[in-house]
Amino acid sequence: MSSVTTNPAAAKPAQPSTRELAMGRRIWLATRSSPWFLMGAVLFALLLIMAVVSVFVFQVDPTKMNFVDKFSPPMGAEGAKSQFPLGTDQLGRDMLSRTLVGLQITFLIGLTATALSFIIGSAVGLYAGFVGGKIDQILMRIVDIQMSIPPIILAITILGLARATPALVISVLVLATWPNYARLTRSGALAERSQEYVRAARVLGASNIRIILLMVAPIALPPMAFAAVFDLARMMIFECVLDFLGIGLQPPTPTLGVIIADGRKYLMNAWWIAVLPGVFLMLLLLSLNMMGTALERARNAVFEGAK
Amino acid sequence: MIATLSFLTRRLSQGALIVFLAALIVFTLLRIGPGDPARMLAGGLSDQASVDALSKQMGLDDPFIVQFGKYIGGIVTHGDFGHSYIRSENGQSVGGGHGDSAGASNRASVISLILGRLPLSLALAAAGLGLALVISAPIGIWAGLRAGKWPDSVTIMGSSILVSMPSFWIAGLLVLLVSIKLQWLPAVGYSGPKYLILPAIVLAIEMAPIFIRTWSSAISSMTRRDFIRVAPVRGLGSKAVFTRHVLRGAAVPFINTLGVMLTSLIGSLLVIEYVFDFPGLGKLTVEAVMQRDFPLVQAIAIVISTFFVLVNIAVDYVSGLFDPRLDY
Repeated sequence: MSSVTTNPAAAKPAQPSTRELAMGRRIWLATRSSPWFLMGAVLFALLLIMAVVSVFVFQVDPTKMNFVDKFSPPMGAEGAKSQFPLGTDQLGRDMLSRTLVGLQITFLIGLTATALSFIIGSAVGLYAGFVGGKIDQILMRIVDIQMSIPPIILAITILGLARATPALVISVLVLATWPNYARLTRSGALAERSQEYVRAARVLGASNIRIILLMVAPIALPPMAFAAVFDLARMMIFECVLDFLGIGLQPPTPTLGVIIADGRKYLMNAWWIAVLPGVFLMLLLLSLNMMGTALERARNAVFEGAK
Repeated sequence: MIATLSFLTRRLSQGALIVFLAALIVFTLLRIGPGDPARMLAGGLSDQASVDALSKQMGLDDPFIVQFGKYIGGIVTHGDFGHSYIRSENGQSVGGGHGDSAGASNRASVISLILGRLPLSLALAAAGLGLALVISAPIGIWAGLRAGKWPDSVTIMGSSILVSMPSFWIAGLLVLLVSIKLQWLPAVGYSGPKYLILPAIVLAIEMAPIFIRTWSSAISSMTRRDFIRVAPVRGLGSKAVFTRHVLRGAAVPFINTLGVMLTSLIGSLLVIEYVFDFPGLGKLTVEAVMQRDFPLVQAIAIVISTFFVLVNIAVDYVSGLFDPRLDY
């Protein structure tokens, strides 16, 4: 039976000094040295830079049609044209600039939606867990109800009725995800509520909000970073799925989901239209999943070691 | 026994309330959204008077509360989820100005539509989930017992890559490769069990990595526990330690993941059935939403949230059996 610990960082003898560091800092120290995290972070940074730089560098209009060059294959394939490294689609639009614009949209919607549901969810969770009593019960029942409506049903009900805009898609994603954070942070806040330092702060006259923001949040939130990273990946997939099903953002907006849905019709003779944007999406999700795995493992190692 | 009974009554009554509220929310959303079902059923060319008459006949003029009351009343008293706006019993579309009377008589009952599609979805779900479980358990346990060594790293890498492939994309790739290039398996539609294979594989690719991760992290964290480490001192062989303690302890996180996956299965099925044009409940759902077939959407939402609630109760109950410390 192996008794070796999972994480390379945790395998080192615990230095007495790290014991005194805050939980969040210890998790970060253990994460930083993980090769998975480094690989994921580099990949993520690369894709992010590509998406951001392409805003300024590429002057090719992703919706500009060019019928002479339609179905031009990507680099490496026979008959490729050098001005279209990823080829062109059925209307002769440049696939590289389309993919990069799709990447920008995915980043924008994913990051905004994750940040919003993190903020809303943890605000509700922290408050409910810290205050307790009736307020806690009411808030948590709302969370239960929200969680019992399957996200996909919620999404297609709302988006099936109204015309999708980026703001609406973000709201749907936030609506489907915030309860998770509320649940996670609530248990963290619950554990801190009766700690001595909280009582001491109360005796000194600190308000609830002050204690929550300055004392409880810095302890209860960092362990949830891994959930946020995984969620970012989930939100990005979800956004692409909605576009793919045709109820999210609509063509001609070149989101990754729209491009892949479009390209499916031409799988037989122009495989690259559907396949290559998917590769970018996969790399993006892969980078997030690697970082998330590293964070989760570090968190588990720190929590189990702290017992 | 008494504890179990009280657990079940408490959770089931809570669950009924949750399903009721979920139904209310979906019902409200559908009513406040744009689109007039009476206008749609009567057809675009009908005059206003016939639209109004139809609207009155369907009860769409009643106050919101009355409509919802009638709806819930019908479900509770005789399991009547209403009739589809669009579909007829023989599978053809009605309404939309084809000139036929859109009375309730020739419109399909929602429940029969759902029951008609359910078996195929269940078969697909069972095949995909079964495949995922069979693949993931040995790999996950094997990697978990070798935490920190190469099998562990390979498994993390492999499952990260698999979990990063969106199902709608991998489905396209598989169709391109297996159906178009190699012509081994049929790609879309359904006319025989052969059509289950590709969708089930896509479903398994989506779920297996998550089970693998759960197994490996649960097993490796169990092997770090003190009571496992000292078990050899108590004279237990490594086989006994593994089956009696490690597996049993790892079962709780596994069951929790299984619960989460069962609930997220619905979303996966919806996408996969849509991609493969597979005539199950997921495809019916997408179609119902696109066609604004409100009674059908409502009923599907109720069926699915009931399933959600039941899965959560089952997960908590079964976890309690494996780890008596968990208080349900």
